[in-house]
Amino acid sequence: MMWSIITRKELKDALRDRRALAALLVFPIMGPVMIYFMFNMIIDIAEEAGEVSLPVIGAEYALDLVDFLEQNGVEIERVSLNAAPDPEGEFYSQAQLDEIRQGIRSRRFDYVLVIPPTFDELISASRSSNIELHVESTRATSAPKAGRVRDFVQAWGRETAALRLIARGVNPEIINPVTVVRIDVASQQSRVQSVLSMVPFFVIMAAFICGMGVAVDVTAGERERKSLEPLLVNPVPRYVIVIGKWMSAVLFSAVGLVLVMVLNFFSLSLVPLEEVGIVFNIGRLEIIGVLVTTLPLALFAPAIQVFVGIFAKSFKDAQAYLSFIMMLPMGPFFYNMFNTQDREFWMSFVPMLGQHMLLTDVVRGDTPDIIDFVLAGLSLLIYSMIFVYGAAQLFKRERIIFT
Amino acid sequence: MIEVQGLTKRFREIVAVDNASFKVRDGAITGLLGHNGAGKSTTLRVLYGLLKAASGKAVIDGIDVMKDPLKAQSVIGVMTDSHGLNPRLTAREHIEYFAQLRKMGRAEINKRIDQLIVTLDMEDITDRRAEGFSQGEKMKVCLSRSLVHDPRNLIMDEPTNGLDVMTTRSVRSILQNLKKDNKCILLSSHIMQEITALCDEIIVIAEGKVLMQGTLDDLTLRTGESDLEEAFMKITRGAQG
Repeated sequence: MMWSIITRKELKDALRDRRALAALLVFPIMGPVMIYFMFNMIIDIAEEAGEVSLPVIGAEYALDLVDFLEQNGVEIERVSLNAAPDPEGEFYSQAQLDEIRQGIRSRRFDYVLVIPPTFDELISASRSSNIELHVESTRATSAPKAGRVRDFVQAWGRETAALRLIARGVNPEIINPVTVVRIDVASQQSRVQSVLSMVPFFVIMAAFICGMGVAVDVTAGERERKSLEPLLVNPVPRYVIVIGKWMSAVLFSAVGLVLVMVLNFFSLSLVPLEEVGIVFNIGRLEIIGVLVTTLPLALFAPAIQVFVGIFAKSFKDAQAYLSFIMMLPMGPFFYNMFNTQDREFWMSFVPMLGQHMLLTDVVRGDTPDIIDFVLAGLSLLIYSMIFVYGAAQLFKRERIIFT
Repeated sequence: MIEVQGLTKRFREIVAVDNASFKVRDGAITGLLGHNGAGKSTTLRVLYGLLKAASGKAVIDGIDVMKDPLKAQSVIGVMTDSHGLNPRLTAREHIEYFAQLRKMGRAEINKRIDQLIVTLDMEDITDRRAEGFSQGEKMKVCLSRSLVHDPRNLIMDEPTNGLDVMTTRSVRSILQNLKKDNKCILLSSHIMQEITALCDEIIVIAEGKVLMQGTLDDLTLRTGESDLEEAFMKITRGAQG
């Protein structure tokens, strides 16, 4: 076939172009790597928050409290101070307090619970005692842990108060008219979702980025190199040339698309998602479905780019236009971010929005209807044809040979 | 054989070719002589099917170029005014590409390229990438890709422009050989020396109009001048005044 001669020549040329190859490979690799690291970060944070280890000074003065904390899964780390204690023994000496402060600054511990020597004495006398929680609040890792420790200590306080009231024959409910029970509906999960929602974005971007260099080079680039006029004196219909050139960009875009999807799924399978309570399993049917719907993106993006490349007066011109067009994939991304409505029928026909929704469904583990796949794929196919037809019309203009 | 009748081409208000008529016969080299901007390139571009004339007719080997440009293109070899190459493709790949676009078979292509390499003396650049080719080397690639399908008609826009003496001479001898093969050759130039050395027939063009066609002797005789340059000046001065 005539167009394949043109495609083959353009591919040969592009494959020798290190810049085009770099564009093809760098982006599809970058996205999945980013996703992998972001997930691991989320999981690390989740794990750290799960097991709280608490440095305690003066644990021996509050045996009951320490027991309570340990029962609640807090790992007590007994810290002893080197500085000289106060001879009076009521509380810690200035030197000891300085040592605590120094310990937090030098990251010997992120935060520390300081129990005064008089604690048990006061508590058993049914009195009240201060407890100090030293925190560096700007340190991101310590704040959530310190918050949990404070909750535990307060819970112990409430329990103690209740026991005291019961001992005096008073119903503890009198001083506890309301208890707030906080039920965490997996805040980790929503964080994971927001990372997962980047997968469709990367896939759509890949379709645009991976073929762009080739699309511009074979159109505006050829004009600028002054190699277009010699090409046009060959007895080949213009639309055949346009199709040949378009297909070369399509192949680059398709390779990038498949690469980014495979790598994304691969990097998601490497992340221990079950640790944050996400079941990520994508069946063979979904993968085929996603490929079938998104591959038309590899026709669509180069179709626009070839159209623009032929329309533009120069290489620079084309690049300027295309940097605007690069914004297009962000449209559906933001739309879906703020759109809380359900899917509506017309959305399948909006280029990229349909694909975006399908991909979002699949990475979330939902299975969209077959009809949605078909509509989104077909409409994109039609848009691609319209742009290629337009490109062929532009390519027939006489002024194409003048630079 | 190329026949042009009453050809007119306008770009908006500017008349680039104005009612031009001429004939280019087989077995001869015909030169289109004119100043820069006289309409040489535009005329040739109409002939090789890249521009549509507003009126008039151009017929190549009996094929009407306006009606069937692709068919006309299949019987001509063209060396355009632009000589751009793909820097990452070799000389051989450039020639191969055009041969494939002209639907030649693999064996035929290889045979033809081997021939062209010898005739144009380009063994050293055949498998080198075009990046860094000299002007002469580029022209050789362009010339060989326009000759690869062994066309009966050859249209060349300033074929020796920017070439050194050695390459110019080899291009001339190639053209002389093609002429012996009874090909129809039309080339444009603004260099008198070039035309005198090569052409059997001369078409003088100025401001889009064909002012005179004939052999070198015809032109000098009709103007009463001793050489082409003087004759050319006299003919074109008439057009301007």
